Amino acid sequence: MRVVIAEDLFLLREGLSRLLTAHGFEIAAAVDNGEDLLRALLDQRPDVAVVDVRLPPTFTDEGLRTALEARRRIPGLPVLVLSQYVEQLYARELVADQSGGVGYLLKDRVFSDDQFIEALRRVARGGTVLDREVISKLLGRHAQDAPLGALSPREREVLALMAEGRSNSAIAQALFVSEKAVSKHSTSIFAKLGLAPSDDDNRRVLAVLTYLNS
Amino acid sequence: MGALAHSGGQIAGITMDRTASQRAGLAQGAQMAEWIFLLAYCIGCTVIAVRRQHVQGRPGPGGPARRPGWGILLLPLALMLRVTTGGGALTLLLVLASGALVALAPQATRRVFPYALIGLGLVGLKEVLLSGAAGYSTAFGGDLYGGGAWRDHLLLPEALLFLAAGSYLAIRWGRATPRLTLLVAGRPAGGRGRPGGGSAPRPPWNLLLIPVAGLLAELAQPAWAFGFNGGADLVMVAVVGLLTVAVVLLLPSVAADLAVGGLLALGVYGVATALLWPQIFPRDQDLLYGAVYVTSRPLAVLAGLQGLALIGLALWLAPRALDKRTMALLWPQRASEAELAGRVEQLTQTRAEAVDTAAAELRRVERDLHDGAQARLVAVGMNLRAAQKLITSSPEAASQLLAEAIDSSSRALTELRNLVRGIHPPVLADRGLPDAIRALALDTPLHTETDIELAGRPEPPVESACYFAVAEALANAVKHAGARHVQIHARHDGTMLRIEVTDDGSGGADPAHGTGLRGLERRLATFDGILAVSSPPGGPTLIVIEVPCALSSPKISSS
Repeated sequence: MRVVIAEDLFLLREGLSRLLTAHGFEIAAAVDNGEDLLRALLDQRPDVAVVDVRLPPTFTDEGLRTALEARRRIPGLPVLVLSQYVEQLYARELVADQSGGVGYLLKDRVFSDDQFIEALRRVARGGTVLDREVISKLLGRHAQDAPLGALSPREREVLALMAEGRSNSAIAQALFVSEKAVSKHSTSIFAKLGLAPSDDDNRRVLAVLTYLNS
Repeated sequence: MGALAHSGGQIAGITMDRTASQRAGLAQGAQMAEWIFLLAYCIGCTVIAVRRQHVQGRPGPGGPARRPGWGILLLPLALMLRVTTGGGALTLLLVLASGALVALAPQATRRVFPYALIGLGLVGLKEVLLSGAAGYSTAFGGDLYGGGAWRDHLLLPEALLFLAAGSYLAIRWGRATPRLTLLVAGRPAGGRGRPGGGSAPRPPWNLLLIPVAGLLAELAQPAWAFGFNGGADLVMVAVVGLLTVAVVLLLPSVAADLAVGGLLALGVYGVATALLWPQIFPRDQDLLYGAVYVTSRPLAVLAGLQGLALIGLALWLAPRALDKRTMALLWPQRASEAELAGRVEQLTQTRAEAVDTAAAELRRVERDLHDGAQARLVAVGMNLRAAQKLITSSPEAASQLLAEAIDSSSRALTELRNLVRGIHPPVLADRGLPDAIRALALDTPLHTETDIELAGRPEPPVESACYFAVAEALANAVKHAGARHVQIHARHDGTMLRIEVTDDGSGGADPAHGTGLRGLERRLATFDGILAVSSPPGGPTLIVIEVPCALSSPKISSS
């Protein structure tokens, strides 16, 4: 799987390259600023890109804007955005085009490399991955509302994991329950929220996010 | 509360007895029915007001304590006014209107009550001053004033008592209604002045227009000095009163100018009376000026002296009360000097505060780094060193230590992240104020509506101060007010950035009592900005942030 890395700090860029190579990724390009990133994304057409939000020359949200720009030109180009902080505003902008293949994670998540690599593969397959901090804030905002309040604690856990973009089997693993139980919970959640059930993981995430963002 | 209505009813009872015996034309039964109706009406209004007060003021978790519903005092007062002005459809209307006000807006009546008391005192005082004048006949001959009759020896002490009580309450309660002060004076109660206004809050001089308009009406129109002689006069008085209040509320900046101008006009009128009497003002026409009923040359001179006193008062007030623009027209030199002096004083103070705040902030950052991230990195280092030693002899223990090191570094990152957010939030740096506020709104567990239109970016320090002010307002809405909905509105009108945060919580927020609002007020003051809070018990809370600033052209477009 070919990957483009954009990270301005040398140590982190090298660390990411080493980590991804160790897990069988091929580094198509490793760049340190927004302009090079856009060029690399358009020229290399990687299977997935790992992009730091803050990049030179502006040292603002250059990485995010470049990623969005590249996705405008190549719809559905899979991009995983990493950041020292997560903002719901940025998460919204990333998932806004509804085409999937996006991820938004805290940089810390790289520490647990198995989960990070799994998330990266999911993004490359066209899935949506959101950091659990984004999701917990989203859920917190609606905690007192009628339909969400009606969910059982277990259903809320399942909903949070679903919103992060995990598949039924990943949720089952995380909660130590059977996949069948998870699918039962998800049916019940979708019924309570009045959403059309979907087996497609990505469409499910987008439905949940649209619901929570409304 | 019930007792007050009851005492109002007693006064009504006394009047009924006297007026019934003195006014033979009125059927006693009809009057009795009228009083019973009024009494029942008053009691009903009081009950509604008390119930509303109780419901609104019920303290939620951490909410404000209940305040007494002083507003219902207006009812007995309205009855007293009815007594003093002697019945009729207008006074019936007065009682009905005050009853409605008491029942519907118990808090608002606090604002009306003191001024009504003052008005009552002024009417009494006028009657005392004029009662000796030859040819003067009062309109209140047979009626009551407070506890006694007009012309009674009690009239003067009672009038003074009303005046004193009204003034005291107006001053005392004036502070409790920041929204009114904000509306009239254009600045927060107890808040910081605008550039040039100095650091001390200036009194709302524009309120002067109300008494001055009253004086003008009383002094300049001889017919009115003999009491209200008919419907036409009453309509005139009502129109003048309404116009005055409208000017004060809608054009606060010109109200004080008009008041000073009115005093001057009155003074000139008095002096003209002294100089020209009786040529211009023929003897056969009633002429009254202030406390003097002008019937002879010496009395005309007295009127002139009064006029001089009014001119003196106007001149004394002018530099204090006139609008800055008017001042600049009249005394360009003086206005700019006063402005500069106030400005220097204000800058000295805000500079000292800014330095203090910055130093305190640096100490906090140092402490947070020392106790947080720094300590955790030390732990990471120690764990790694220990793991290195154990890695061959006891790989399992080493792996345990490495897991701890990973955990510590993760925590250190979290702490650094929170620290950075508190110093300068990343979204603010990335995108500017509108998106930063939207991001704040998204992070709040409340339903938040944002309506923000800024054509460019303010200077970074201003941006930052505004951001933290909004963040604090939102945090207060969540923590203290128990709010569910918040609206954030921001505009720039070319010179001033204005942000309003409104929540539907329980109200009662006061920058004077702790909370971070005070610190933010200081921070904004460094940029000549203000933070005004209107938060009556029961809500809603409105926080207004205003900072004079220019917007730079947008470098980054926010999509």
